[in-house]
Order: sequence, then structure tokens, then C-alpha cells
Amino acid sequence: MHIIKKILLVLLIVFIGIQFIRPVRNESGQVLSTDIIKTLNVPDSVLNALKMSCYDCHSNNTNYPFYVNIEPVGWMLNNHIKNGKDKLNFSDFGSYSRRRQMSKLRSIISQIKDDKMPLSSYTVIHKDAILTTKDKALIIDWSNKTKDSLSSLN
Amino acid sequence: MEVLKKPLNNLKSKKMKTTTIFIMLAIVIAFTACNTKQTSETETTSTEQSDQLYACSMHPDITGKKGDKCSECGMELTEPVKSETVQATTVQATTEATATVSIKEIVSNYLQLKNALTKDNTNDAATAGKALETALKNFDKSALTAEQKTTFEDIQTDAIEHAEHIGTNAGKIEHQREHFDLLSKDMYDLVKAFGAGQTLYKDFCPMYNDNKGAIWLSEAKEIKNPYYGKSMSSCGSMKEELK
Repeated sequence: MHIIKKILLVLLIVFIGIQFIRPVRNESGQVLSTDIIKTLNVPDSVLNALKMSCYDCHSNNTNYPFYVNIEPVGWMLNNHIKNGKDKLNFSDFGSYSRRRQMSKLRSIISQIKDDKMPLSSYTVIHKDAILTTKDKALIIDWSNKTKDSLSSLN
Repeated sequence: MEVLKKPLNNLKSKKMKTTTIFIMLAIVIAFTACNTKQTSETETTSTEQSDQLYACSMHPDITGKKGDKCSECGMELTEPVKSETVQATTVQATTEATATVSIKEIVSNYLQLKNALTKDNTNDAATAGKALETALKNFDKSALTAEQKTTFEDIQTDAIEHAEHIGTNAGKIEHQREHFDLLSKDMYDLVKAFGAGQTLYKDFCPMYNDNKGAIWLSEAKEIKNPYYGKSMSSCGSMKEELK
């Protein structure tokens, strides 16, 4: 009994201790000049779908759930977001070269087609982030058209 | 200290000790976790000039350490020799050669990747992808003009991403091929801009990518399709010869 109590006590202390180590939030609150909406023509329907399903990890503004305040959940989310933004950041899309923009659009299409994005580990909690068939079609169609218009600029 | 120790001993000091050790451990773990989060990659590019050479003011060919005497006239060596300028001039003289040589490495890694895909070999493709990523990253841009540099970097950032994805997706050949499609466009532009240093052929597969088609570069005239591999090896046609 004593050992179990000790272990529990230690775990409690660790748990309390780590609550004080918090990553910086990914909430800039402003629209950069490099934002995708300043670079490309994004219809509202597409933008809403992107915001709902992608922006938490692929933009400078995450809509945090309450449990982010409980570490180490916050750390894990922070890692996810950092990783996601490295791969694709809609808030910074305009800074990509045209070549890279086209690559990203292509990747968006294939990721959504193959149901690889949004991540299933994310949609388990964020049910509202699951893309409907209609949303998927909207995004894919928009990406295809935008990609083609970008390539015709050559 | 003695006074403090005694009551501790009475209060099952062993238990206290283990608890304190546990707490310390907990703190250590918590802090290491904190540290690993923010490991920024700071690459120090130190330009060390370990042995500065000095030349004779009368005989610039004679060099040595500071304070040495010239072997021709006996004067002290006073003119510092700028090794950087020496390097710069040699680089300039061989601009063409070095540019082609380095691109050659990129091209040869790309061709290896292509050949692995024609054989449906996903692991070899991953290896070649990684090698290509390194070659792209290590390309020496110092010999390029400002304009060339912009062109190169534009292609480079995109191509690195594709090479990286191919490298980390061994076992998912379809995913590798998707990136190979975009990578091939990058490679075509790169070869067009800088020359491959060898004859290459731009081939076209009309079926890939929902019948939108995709290109690839090959070192041989014979068609070996990297998008469908062995199942449709000879599918495709040569569109352009790049010299």
C-alpha cells in the first residue's frame, strides 16, 4: 500500500509540476499579407471548409479546445501544429513560390482524396472537422482549378 | 546538521529519502521534456582562417608566416595573402565545370530513383530519394549568378520536399510516385536551366494522374515507365531530347 501511495504522490507532483511548462499558443489573430486569401481567390465555401478542418494545424491561428490547458496534452498539440505548419501553412501560402504553391495544391488533393487528412486522430475528437463528401469535392475542385490557373501563368 | 538528521532518522528516513529522490526525478523529467521542445538548429558557419599567409612585398610568390624573411631578398613578409580571393578566382574560372558537376550528382540520384520506380522497388526508391535530398541540399550555389540562384532556389525548395517525401515513404510506392511526378517537373526545369552534362530524354506517360499525364526524365531512349512499373513498362513516349 505504501509503495502505491508513494508512486501516486510522485505522479501527482509530476503532473502538477508540468502544468507550469506551457508552450506558446499558436494564435496570431491577424491576417498576414502572405495569407492564402490575399494570394489566391478562395470562395467562402472552400475557405469555411478549410478553416473548419485544416486551420487548427495549418495556419497561424489555432482554435484551441479547453483541454489544451492540461499538460502534456498542450505539448502534444503544440508539436502537431508545428509539424503541420512546416508542411503547409495557409497563413503563409503567399510566401511560397508558384512552383511550391502548385505542389501544395496537388498534395491537398491527394491527401483529401485518400482520406489521409484531416488526421483520424484529430477527427476522433473534432467531429466537426470531418469533411463531408460535398466539402471534399469543393476543396478538390477548387485546388484543381487553382493549380491549373497557376500553371497557365507560365 | 546533527540536530536535523536525528528526527529525520526517527521518521523513517528511508521513506523520506526515496520520496525526495522521486520528486527530484520528476522535476528533472519535467525540465528535460521542456528542453527538448525547443531545440533550435543553430548551424554555426565558422570561417576559420587558421594559417594566415604573408607574402614578400617585392616577391609576391614567396609566402610564409608573419615575421618570416623572404628567401629571395631577405625582406620581412608583410603582405597578407587573402586566401578567400584566391578561392574566389579559382571558382570563377571553373564556374561552368563545377555547376555541371554538382547538377550531375542531382541528376544521377534522380535517375537512380526513376530506375527504382520502373522496377517497382520502393525501398531503393526511398534510398535514392534520400540521396537526392542530400545532393539538392548540398549543391554549391556560390558559383551561380544572382539570377541563376533565384531559379535554382525556386526549384530546390520544391524538389527537396518531394525527395524527402519519397525518402520517408518506403513501402508506399503510390505516394512516392505522386511526388515523383512533381519532382520530374522540377528536374526538367532544372536541367533546362543548368544542363545535365549528359543527354537526357523527356518521356511522357499519358495515363498517369487521371489521364492528365506526367513526364519523367530518362538517360536511355528505351521507354521504361516509372509510374506504373513492370505492369506497363513500355507505356509512354519520348517527347524531347535534352542535350
